[in-house]
Amino acid sequence: MNETTQLMLESAERLLRDACPKAVVDQVEAGQRPDALWAELEALGLLNACVPEGQGGVGLPLAEGLTLLRLAGRYAVPVPFAETLLGRALAAEAGLPEVLEGTMTLAVPGVQGDGYAPVPFAPWARWVLVAQAGPDGTVSFQCLPQEQLTFSEPRKGLAGEPEALLLGGAGKGPTFSSSLAPTLAKLQGLLALSRAVMMAGALESALDLSVAYALERKQFGREIAKFQAVQQQLAVLTGEVAAALRAADAGLEALGSVREATAWAVAKARAGEAAGKGAEIAHQVHGAMGFTHEHQLHHRTRRLWCWRDQHGHEAYWQAVLGRALCAAGADALWPELTGSA
Amino acid sequence: MATALTFDPVTLPTAAEALRNEVRQFVAETLGNEHRRNSDFGASHDPEFSRALGQRGWIGMTWPAKYGGGGRSFFERYVMTEELLAAGAPVGAHWIADRQSGPLLLRYGTEAQREFFLPKIIAGECFFSIGMSEPDSGSDLASVRTTATPVEGGWMVNGTKLWSSGAHRNHYMITLVRTPTESESRHAGLSQLIVDLRNSSGLTVRPITNLAGDAEFNEVVFEDCFVPADRLVGEPGNGWEQVTSELGYERSGPERFLSAFRVFVELLREVGPKPTDHQAAVLGRMAAHMMTLRNMSISVAGMLESNRNPVVEAALVKELGNNFEREVPEIARLVAPGGGSALFRQTLEDTILHAPSFTIRGGTREILRGMIARGLGLR
Repeated sequence: MNETTQLMLESAERLLRDACPKAVVDQVEAGQRPDALWAELEALGLLNACVPEGQGGVGLPLAEGLTLLRLAGRYAVPVPFAETLLGRALAAEAGLPEVLEGTMTLAVPGVQGDGYAPVPFAPWARWVLVAQAGPDGTVSFQCLPQEQLTFSEPRKGLAGEPEALLLGGAGKGPTFSSSLAPTLAKLQGLLALSRAVMMAGALESALDLSVAYALERKQFGREIAKFQAVQQQLAVLTGEVAAALRAADAGLEALGSVREATAWAVAKARAGEAAGKGAEIAHQVHGAMGFTHEHQLHHRTRRLWCWRDQHGHEAYWQAVLGRALCAAGADALWPELTGSA
Repeated sequence: MATALTFDPVTLPTAAEALRNEVRQFVAETLGNEHRRNSDFGASHDPEFSRALGQRGWIGMTWPAKYGGGGRSFFERYVMTEELLAAGAPVGAHWIADRQSGPLLLRYGTEAQREFFLPKIIAGECFFSIGMSEPDSGSDLASVRTTATPVEGGWMVNGTKLWSSGAHRNHYMITLVRTPTESESRHAGLSQLIVDLRNSSGLTVRPITNLAGDAEFNEVVFEDCFVPADRLVGEPGNGWEQVTSELGYERSGPERFLSAFRVFVELLREVGPKPTDHQAAVLGRMAAHMMTLRNMSISVAGMLESNRNPVVEAALVKELGNNFEREVPEIARLVAPGGGSALFRQTLEDTILHAPSFTIRGGTREILRGMIARGLGLR
């Protein structure tokens, strides 16, 4: 990780600790746009992390800029962070200065070939980057003002954030392609990776909350952290969190290498599995308190349940990996797993 | 945030990748078709194979050249061991000596001990067993009762060690004993002795047949067994620290998630090139787990390389890895089409019969989780 990224992560964490408390997440989930939080994210330049310096951005490579998403997960940041971060990096390549301001979301064909995936934050987005797949698997983009497109009635997903289905619309912007995501498969892989990194961050936070609660909550005259049954569960949670973090980081490290598609599939599959197991344990440790709206645990766990399904759930990416292994054959399994074929 | 969660990225150096090809070629040339491939490190004892590895310089790879070691990195050792395990090579004979007895002597042994033992280990001609557990001391290792009483020229050992794998055919056993102490602490007064398994009087090694029908581990009974003074490892009374450091080497390696690997390979062969969606997902899930575990294990090799002591990280790798390797046969039997080939059934059954040991040897699942909980500050 380079020094600029390290500094950016540190200042982002300081900002989010203050600017993204539970109250802000609650407000968003009640239907109110977090304009103040957005303004602070813009002011710090976080959303332009992967826009070239010449265009007013920070100029971080994608693999570095996407590490910010771990914080978006850790603090349950209720804005289209991943979509704007990635969307602006793509749009910057086409040299469209006007779209580098304001919330951006992405309309992308779903991985299972059943039309566009629900568009996160569609009702609030100023810009929608619409991806269109060609017959040869390449992808082209149009970045359109949200009002030029037609969306379904918005609904709230598991995360409590608004989303809508893209129904149609006449695009008046230029069509462009991007070297960062020349194919639909690569674009979907990057988005799956973004969710893996976000889940890793949310899991870290769920673990921290669970450990803190276990050390504070007393039953039978002592902290529940002193009970072996609780300790064992928290150890299992720690394993899942560590695995999700490593898998997500490995996905970022692989960006640009021949192994990237495999690493992203692994990241989404492994972090998605950890999300389900981890959320279950975190809730069990928190007891009834964690089931209340008042406690902040659900801001993490509902996002885990939401993100594990976005851009391909575990079984989807597992099957992608499995089919490739079957095609390579049993004697190629070890070289395939170690990248030494 | 808990530091145990930080598994820094490691890219294997090119020297390690070059070695990978050498090991692969060696295995392809050396292992005959009749060899029953098994990725469980304890599955087979083959002194001839160990000697061949020794001749290649693949035992004691990281040890200093002055003892005949290779002076190579932990990453190279990592690659060498994972290649041998993945191929199902018979590594059992020298495994313990290479993994922990040699490193223990390097860290705590006398110069004379190093000069005497290390070159023999490196040549693949000297095999070690572990003498830690006892009939009444398993997870609670600090409760061991085997005693070593100072006598003229050495120690008189009395007591019983249990579950010592390979003690019926290995050369030496590093034995944890109680030595006299003034202290009341249960961790005080523990010491380690190198016991000659082949040339000691007052020593009885009794193989214990396991549920698979193999006589692999042993009961080792000491009745006034004399051990010379120069076979004490480190300081008298320092045994607890030494044994803990030894366990650190034990826990994070590829043997903690690869034990069932041949089942994965044969399952893939059974499923063939056209899996159902369910089969593809199940195989892909195993791959995602394995690649992540391997990544974590390599990260721990990086911590060892930079002289850190990754106790909690190693426990995490072992806990996750053991759970995974116990899951593999359970998954394989449900998704294999039909009854499977003779090779598939044999591999699966071997692993099912040995799987209960995976989450017990080298620290039980419960003990490891307790260590992780301590790392979280819960106890």
